[in-house]
Amino acid sequence: MFTPQRGSGKLARKAMPPDATASPAQAERTAFTGRDLRKIYVTGETEVHALRGVDFDIRKGEILVLLGPSGSGKSTLLNIVGGLDRATSGSLHYEDTELSALDDADLTRFRRAQIGFIFQFYNLIPSLTAEENVRLVTDIADDPMDPGEALALVGLAERRHHYPAQLSGGEQQRVAVARAIAKQPGVLLCDEPTGALDSQTGVRVLETLEAANRELDTTLLIITHNAGIAAMADRVFHFLDGTIARIETNERRISPAEISW
Amino acid sequence: MKALDLKLVRDLWRMRGQALAIAIVLAAASATFILSMGVHRSLYETREAYYAQNNFGDVFSSMTRAPRSVVDEVAQIEGVQQAQGSILQYAILDFPDRSEAVRALLQSVDERGRDRLDRVTLKAGRMPMPGQPGEVVADEAFALANEVGPGDEFDAIIYGRMQRLRVVGIGLAPNYVNALAPGDIVPDDTRFGVFWMGEEALEAATDRTEAINALSVKLQRGASEADVIRAIDRILAPYGGAGAYTREDHPSHAFLESELDQLEAMVQVIPPIFLIVSTFLVYVVLGRMIRTQRSLIGLLKAFGYSGLAIAWHYLKFALAIALLATALGAAAGIWMGRAMTELYGEYYHFPFLRFHFAPGVFLSAGALAMGSAALGAVSGVWSAARLTPAVAMSPPPPPVYRAGFVERVGEKAGFTAIGHMIVRHIARWPTRSAMTVGGVGLSIALLFATLSFIDSSNYMLSSYFFRSQQQDLSVTFTEARNEDVLFELAQMPGVLRVEPVRALPVEMSHANRVERTALEAIAPDAMLSARIDQDGNLIAMPPGGLMLSRQLASQLGVRPGDNVRVKMLGGRRTEAMLPVGAMVDEFIGARAYASQDTLDTLARDSAPVGAALLLIDPAHRDDILAALKAMPVVLSIGDRDLEMARFQEMIDGNINTMIIFYIAFASAIAVGVVYNGARILFSERAHELATLRVLGYHRREVAVVLIGEIALLVAISVPVGLLMGYALAQFMLHMFGSDLFRLPFAPADATYAKAALVVLAAAMLTAVTVARRVMRLDMVRVLKARE
Repeated sequence: MFTPQRGSGKLARKAMPPDATASPAQAERTAFTGRDLRKIYVTGETEVHALRGVDFDIRKGEILVLLGPSGSGKSTLLNIVGGLDRATSGSLHYEDTELSALDDADLTRFRRAQIGFIFQFYNLIPSLTAEENVRLVTDIADDPMDPGEALALVGLAERRHHYPAQLSGGEQQRVAVARAIAKQPGVLLCDEPTGALDSQTGVRVLETLEAANRELDTTLLIITHNAGIAAMADRVFHFLDGTIARIETNERRISPAEISW
Repeated sequence: MKALDLKLVRDLWRMRGQALAIAIVLAAASATFILSMGVHRSLYETREAYYAQNNFGDVFSSMTRAPRSVVDEVAQIEGVQQAQGSILQYAILDFPDRSEAVRALLQSVDERGRDRLDRVTLKAGRMPMPGQPGEVVADEAFALANEVGPGDEFDAIIYGRMQRLRVVGIGLAPNYVNALAPGDIVPDDTRFGVFWMGEEALEAATDRTEAINALSVKLQRGASEADVIRAIDRILAPYGGAGAYTREDHPSHAFLESELDQLEAMVQVIPPIFLIVSTFLVYVVLGRMIRTQRSLIGLLKAFGYSGLAIAWHYLKFALAIALLATALGAAAGIWMGRAMTELYGEYYHFPFLRFHFAPGVFLSAGALAMGSAALGAVSGVWSAARLTPAVAMSPPPPPVYRAGFVERVGEKAGFTAIGHMIVRHIARWPTRSAMTVGGVGLSIALLFATLSFIDSSNYMLSSYFFRSQQQDLSVTFTEARNEDVLFELAQMPGVLRVEPVRALPVEMSHANRVERTALEAIAPDAMLSARIDQDGNLIAMPPGGLMLSRQLASQLGVRPGDNVRVKMLGGRRTEAMLPVGAMVDEFIGARAYASQDTLDTLARDSAPVGAALLLIDPAHRDDILAALKAMPVVLSIGDRDLEMARFQEMIDGNINTMIIFYIAFASAIAVGVVYNGARILFSERAHELATLRVLGYHRREVAVVLIGEIALLVAISVPVGLLMGYALAQFMLHMFGSDLFRLPFAPADATYAKAALVVLAAAMLTAVTVARRVMRLDMVRVLKARE
């Protein structure tokens, strides 16, 4: 069974049970390892092959951008990696835990402990204020930040008592980011986080995400249609027809402030 | 089929659960409407047809003894169409193998078939023939209960003399649709029956040659009842006339009338409850459906559909549900109507009684169902018709949440974020939340009111039998006796105490209100029959005044201190003005009491003894019963314990069926309200629930959002429902009460709990069923769709 462990300090990362053979000093720690992952959706009599056997290793603390046309398998991979969905076949490990073997309750615990999600349409609860939306996560996380602190990190300390309907799109997305990072997750999964935002607001959100990566050592997976964003990544997975067609490695990550669209 | 109608059919199918839940509540309205209206009509029309066919009289009177010639005299009165005299005589039948007395009321019939009024319908055999003195026709109910048929013979004590009777026919007549033995409060066909005997034979048996003691009169159309009654009373006065009365006061007719009144009351109380809840359900469900189809409505309008076409489309959704409900309700109503009519057949003696399929009743039920569904649809349909395409196709404005009063309380109470979600959602939809509380509340109210009926019956039973009636046996005499008979009874070994029951038929009037009743004497040392107040304390008899049952007081419109004119209907026909000294809560009948002295003064004589109450040593019980049975003056023996058991049996028999129906009805409301509430909640919050799952909430934690809101609303509806039930029960008791009896409002403590628990169980089971959908929530799909 999956059992999250507590971190040691306020901003310390929670870790999965350490691998007995792995050295803590190991420079290149792996977050996710996927081998021959396949996902087939069956609707009626048609089968949709969303993933056609992908292999990948995602390193801890890296920023990874997933690029590709609609239906190429990016979101499917993100959902499987985040424990929202299950692969039809193949194996997927997070650190030493085999996610493909977990049942629903354990997948829920995995999400609760390790994963922060950010969506294009924010998915805030309209009946809860900004702070209460963050509290949704801190109420159930093991070693969360203070909700106010999380909101301060995204620059919304002043607007903590506002309801989503009283916030702009960019502000709402930053609340979503605060909600995602408040639990100090190991991984942040972002599906088109800037898709509904203007350039300036989008950059602001990306900066927040990058800060989380930098300060909390959070692994960051970003799906985007915006090729410009790829420049802030360590690596870029190019998807095509359910496969990772190409993996691009950036020599140098540029800061979000340098991106524009 | 047009494309839009196809959409309607598919919408109905997609929302079949919700549509069915509404249809069931609406069907309950139709069913109870068809049931009570249908049974009312069946009973009413059967009665009217029976009365017409057998020529039931309009005015009646009894007298001590009058020459037959008075019949012609009465027939001459202006407004009288026909008059008919007869002899009525109580008799005791001797069934050797029966320990209890079997009593009969003998009514004379013309052996030559010349009777015109209150004619007998023969079910078997023939009428008595001239020159055959022992021939009788037995009433059908008695014959069935005692397995008596043509050819059977038994002995009877008639007018103190033993005579052999021979049953030659089985029949029934409109003046005995409901036949109660004197002193009884529950019909008992095994111990009491009506027999029709040849006039000459009964004249001979009762020494009443060419004499009568009962009169039945048919009025001409438009005749004044009051004038005819006055004329009859004048004619009969010298012959001990006890005062003529109309059908309204005829025991059999009055009983039936009170039953019809109750059915009518039921129509006015029960179906409206279901109609109100259905209207609310349609309002909520259709409102939600139209909100979710907002952009579709915009699209249709962009295509060129008119606002009217859209309105008609959604209205049809509501009407289709109403149509289904009417069909379901009709089936259930017919089924229940048949069962209830059958039950009535056991209590009322009609030659035929069938549940009546009146198209009008079904049409009315359908119209009511359509009407309330349409009413519920109005606001949603109106908003759909008014939407402009451009507005409709843009997403609706996000819901506005504000921290209100509840919020500040929640803040102090330390709500979790989930707690806030629940409370704020309720506050965000106040109308819908209030309607849910009201709907569930009504189901609790309905159940409470129904269950408290049983409590009322039990209270009445215990009040009547345990507290007012302390005797073991009550003995009714064939005719009023003097006090000697009391000494005779007191002499019997094992008889511990004997108290007389003296009563005189009187007419009481106050202002323009007139009531006929019996004025009963209360001896100063009376112990066995007590008049008690609401707290069970003995009420002292006011000297020189009257004590009225609350029922009679309200019929006369008098209060303590008022004066009532009392006119003796028999004897010397004296009149007096007497003050009302006290009131007593009695649930059966509308009676009046006065001290023995008052009664004697009024009668100008010692009031005759009509019955006696006995307290006995249980060891001598069988001997005493045998001795009483052998006394020719004893008409009937009432056994308190036996009567109580029969009464309880009658209550249980009728009420258990009723309880099952009403538990089902109340549950149907609760299920309908909660199911629709939960489904709407689920559809509105699917997005949020999926978000919570993504954030790492377990399924059961997410289900709390759904169940928590419903549980909170249902919890609020418990006190609300009990309060409504409290009012509804009293209203129903008021509506169902009649001149014959009145039910006290005395709910047992357990009734509060039962009503709440049944509804709570139904509500929570339903909520949990819907919450299981959380288990199947597809997080990815829900979040991909922008709400």
